[in-house]
Amino acid sequence: MRNRRGAYLLGALLLVGTNLCGLAIPWLLKLAIEALQAPAKAGYTPAQYGAMIAAAAVAQGIIRVFSRTTLLNAGRRIEYELREDLYAKLLTLDRTYFSNWRTGDILSRLANDLTNVRMLLGFGVLSLLNTVVIYTASLILLTRISPFLTLCSVLPFPIMILIVKQMSASMFRISKRTQEALARLTTRVEENVSAAAVVRAYCREDGEIESFGAVCDSYSEASMAMAKIRGLMLPVMAATGAIGTLVILFVGGNQVIRGELTLGGFVAFNGYLAMLVWPTIMFGWILNLVQRGAASMTRLSEILNALSQVVEPEQPVDPGHIKGEIEYRNLSFSYGSAEMLRGIDLKIARGARIGIVGVVGSGKSTLVRMIPRLFPVADGSLFIDGIDLNRLPITRIREAVGFVPQETFLFSRTIAENIGYGKPGATREEIERAAQIAGLSGDLTRFPQGLDTLVGERGVTLSGGQKQRVSIARALIKEPSILILDDPLSAVDADTEEEILSALSGYYGKRTVLIVSHRLSPLRNCDRIIVLEQGSIVEEGSHAELLDLGGRYAAIHREEQLKAEIERL
Amino acid sequence: MHFGGIYEDETVGKVYDRRLMGRFFAYVLPYRRMLVTALLVLPFIAATKLAQPWIIKVAIDDHIVKGRMEGLPALAAAFLAVIFAESILMFTQVYLLQWVGQRVMYDIRVRLFSHIQRLSTRFFDQTPVGSLVSRLTSDIEVLGEMFAAGIVTVVGDILVLAGIVGIMLWMNVRLSLVTFSVLPVLIWVAFAFRKWMRLAFRQVRARQANLSAFLAESIGGMAVVQLFNRERDEAKEFQRLNASYVEANLPVITWDAALYAVVESLSSVAVALIIWYGGGEIVKGTLSFGSLVAFIQYIEKFFSPIRDLSAKYSIMQGAMASLERIFALLDNQDREPGALPATERTAGAAPACEGSPADGLRSICFNDIWFAYKERDYVLKGFSLQMKRGEKVALVGETGGGKTTVTRLLSRLYDVERGTITIDGTDIRELPLPALRKRIGVVLQDPYLFSGTIAYNISLGDPEALKRVEQAAAVVGADRFIRELPKGYEEEVRERGVNFSAGERQLISFARAVAFDPEILVLDEATASVDTASERLIQQGLEGLMQGRTTLVVAHRLSTIRDADRIVVIHRGEKAEEGTHAELMAAQGLYYRLYQLQFKD
Repeated sequence: MRNRRGAYLLGALLLVGTNLCGLAIPWLLKLAIEALQAPAKAGYTPAQYGAMIAAAAVAQGIIRVFSRTTLLNAGRRIEYELREDLYAKLLTLDRTYFSNWRTGDILSRLANDLTNVRMLLGFGVLSLLNTVVIYTASLILLTRISPFLTLCSVLPFPIMILIVKQMSASMFRISKRTQEALARLTTRVEENVSAAAVVRAYCREDGEIESFGAVCDSYSEASMAMAKIRGLMLPVMAATGAIGTLVILFVGGNQVIRGELTLGGFVAFNGYLAMLVWPTIMFGWILNLVQRGAASMTRLSEILNALSQVVEPEQPVDPGHIKGEIEYRNLSFSYGSAEMLRGIDLKIARGARIGIVGVVGSGKSTLVRMIPRLFPVADGSLFIDGIDLNRLPITRIREAVGFVPQETFLFSRTIAENIGYGKPGATREEIERAAQIAGLSGDLTRFPQGLDTLVGERGVTLSGGQKQRVSIARALIKEPSILILDDPLSAVDADTEEEILSALSGYYGKRTVLIVSHRLSPLRNCDRIIVLEQGSIVEEGSHAELLDLGGRYAAIHREEQLKAEIERL
Repeated sequence: MHFGGIYEDETVGKVYDRRLMGRFFAYVLPYRRMLVTALLVLPFIAATKLAQPWIIKVAIDDHIVKGRMEGLPALAAAFLAVIFAESILMFTQVYLLQWVGQRVMYDIRVRLFSHIQRLSTRFFDQTPVGSLVSRLTSDIEVLGEMFAAGIVTVVGDILVLAGIVGIMLWMNVRLSLVTFSVLPVLIWVAFAFRKWMRLAFRQVRARQANLSAFLAESIGGMAVVQLFNRERDEAKEFQRLNASYVEANLPVITWDAALYAVVESLSSVAVALIIWYGGGEIVKGTLSFGSLVAFIQYIEKFFSPIRDLSAKYSIMQGAMASLERIFALLDNQDREPGALPATERTAGAAPACEGSPADGLRSICFNDIWFAYKERDYVLKGFSLQMKRGEKVALVGETGGGKTTVTRLLSRLYDVERGTITIDGTDIRELPLPALRKRIGVVLQDPYLFSGTIAYNISLGDPEALKRVEQAAAVVGADRFIRELPKGYEEEVRERGVNFSAGERQLISFARAVAFDPEILVLDEATASVDTASERLIQQGLEGLMQGRTTLVVAHRLSTIRDADRIVVIHRGEKAEEGTHAELMAAQGLYYRLYQLQFKD
């Protein structure tokens, strides 16, 4: 849109050009036939008119190519820019959006809705301009040949418009019914597949097939009704166009006989009228495109207009390097209607090692996700090195944090690229060292191409534990001041856990380390352990202190010992 | 850092695949009579199309030029009649084709659905729900488009083209030859177009696939992108893929525009040729005005079907890709197991499972069962268990210890790898699946509710079970809350039962099991804790449910293990302990600890 106004203007001009050439042909025909009938009065010979027609045709073709490519390319360009803008917007949105919108939904907007918008801006605009140009020019020329005949031949058009309007109303109704039937069919399939175990357990396969057949039937029926009305549309259009021809044949024929109209005029008139039929048929289609495109644009606007709550500070305070001191001051956080964190007060000195435990949903992951601003934080509730988090540039804090998320996400690239993702321009040695600390060395020797093994669908499928360790290495290579491990070892066995933890403790140094875990074993080396329950800190202290307290922590500890005993049996 | 791998893969699809079309034709064959009828209508449509310019020609030559008014109204009437005939025939043809299309879609859809019903549980473990849904919906819709968009009427188009050529030659051979001198150019352009378009389409599809793959991955890993401050790099890479996609589209637009323009211009040139040469003929008196006009109209009709060639082309390509995916699913032979012939039986029931069905002893017997979901990663290692008729056995153990697997093997959702499971002395693999599953009622951990009425959810549409719906609801105590609903048993269940509490959903699934009146009950208790009201409901429901049935229950609730006749503790895929609650507590072994861990609050 923005910068494409020029392209559209040019496209419109080219369309006028190509259509003028096209419209000149029937006129030249008229002159040519008149020349044939009365050679004396003619300006040129029929052969010369033929040449003129050929020249007009060639010009029409050449300009046509440019007009179509100009307009359709403009549509594509806008699609490109929109897609770019949409993606750029997605890059800035915080976690709350991604939990509300499902990935499938976002992808479908970026694919289907964007296509609808492009169709509107490309073919839609092209056809609309074409229709306007042809209509205007044809009507002028028709009137010049014979005003009375023009009036006669456009008489059926209002009737056609009425019929089409009537039909599109019922078309809309039936199309809605068809969409609903399709939605039922889709639900039916989805339920059947999701509940495959239930269907089998109760031997309902045949019953399912039968009832699916019924759903398909009602969908077919609705589709047939749609086909019927579409089938009617075509002949109606064709017939109205042809009735125009009939009018000319009869009325125009009479005029020619009476000498009120030349035969050339008669033929040209026929030609122009034929030109009007197609744009008229297209008109219904254009309306449909406009409606669909507008609906889709609204859906895209929802993404484009989304406001991230995590934004760069207006007056940033940039301390340069972040040392890693963290302070929560009465921090609360609600997500939807659920209160995830309530009144958290916590001071973490530089270089401290903090463990965070609690049951699922106690808010332990949310607590650490606040630090790299994955979620919005209220002003004055979280401080890094004594600076309000909301005053720090976002890149500065994210640079300083090495985060290993609970749900491991790796890109479909090589292992080396995945680790190197943490530090652009990392050397091979750095990647190898990070892999080693994360306990990957042993696994790497078993992969076909070592560090250069491709991960994902087209490559090697890594085990849960291997993925976690690549994710750890990716955070380590960053050399962060603050290292956050969100349940990082849930998928590795006890021996590997031991190995990684001891390697990590050599790496910690002056870094502030936060480890979230639902088990206690990874928290062994922590100076202080926080126990969270329903978003609040309920216990706090060293391992020994918490055991003495005999509260939640001690209970978790007892459970783990029981589990360990069971394991040993 | 460079981005390699997945994003660079160039995948291509064929535009016309004879093998796929051959298979597809087998589905069209049953409707050949309709299809043939539609095809038979085509010549008549062609005739009405061809007749129109002819009538104009006669009107001009015999009436308008000669100044004879009489007969003109009759010709106008004939013209009108031809147009009405064309409209009716067109409608008939469109309707018939759509009808065939819809029937074919219906058949393929039901066939595919039926095929999926027979696939193994493992297949469902490995296949995302969404991909199956799109096979049955969007992929089949694309096939319908093939009928709707008039790919079939290409035959009709060819008829019209041939008819036009014939009539023009008959009217005036020399003028026709002059006019058709543009055809070699058209044919050359169409061929060049086909070749270039195929290449261009390939590029577009491949780059589109790359772009979507990148986007899907990027949105999935957005948190990682943001955490590592890599937005700019990702945006740059996206821009590159986005640009390469748009660039791939530009040649398609150019080729399409070129084809359109060439067809349009050639038709104008042809008209010009008619005027130029025909004009001379008229002067010489060898051609009439009417013929000239008819020639012009014929040539316009000749070019019009060629204009939307590229639209038809892309629909064909989409249909081929869909057919490929549909047939790939139909070819999947990962079916549910059938019944083994009795001759292959493993030397009758294993020794450990003696006892005849008549004395009602050891009605179910697991004998040395080995099983792995993934190769060699055994979940059950030599598990054995005997159950008497009417006995209630509770399975207890750690998560992932194999409890649920035992229940799945009994109803043959999976087959054992080693060992045998017998019911009343017969290996369950010798029983036809429906016969086996009719004897076993399964209540899954997650009470899955379908959209439909409560009655439907209890009976699942089975006519026998439908008769017992109210009775079954009463047995598990679900009748009380159902009766209070505005529409009672006809109340609609919304999205997976959000309008019911967890306890109510459980009771509906209990009633379902009772309505099918199985002799054996397999129950996987929900682990999630429920509120006390729901807990009481479930408690009472369970009693009614288990009444008089041999019951194997994966227990997560205190009352269930206390009420069980026997408790079996599974540890690492083996039976570790066995006995009543009191006996096992006294032993102070594994059960004693599990009890403290899982059942004590």
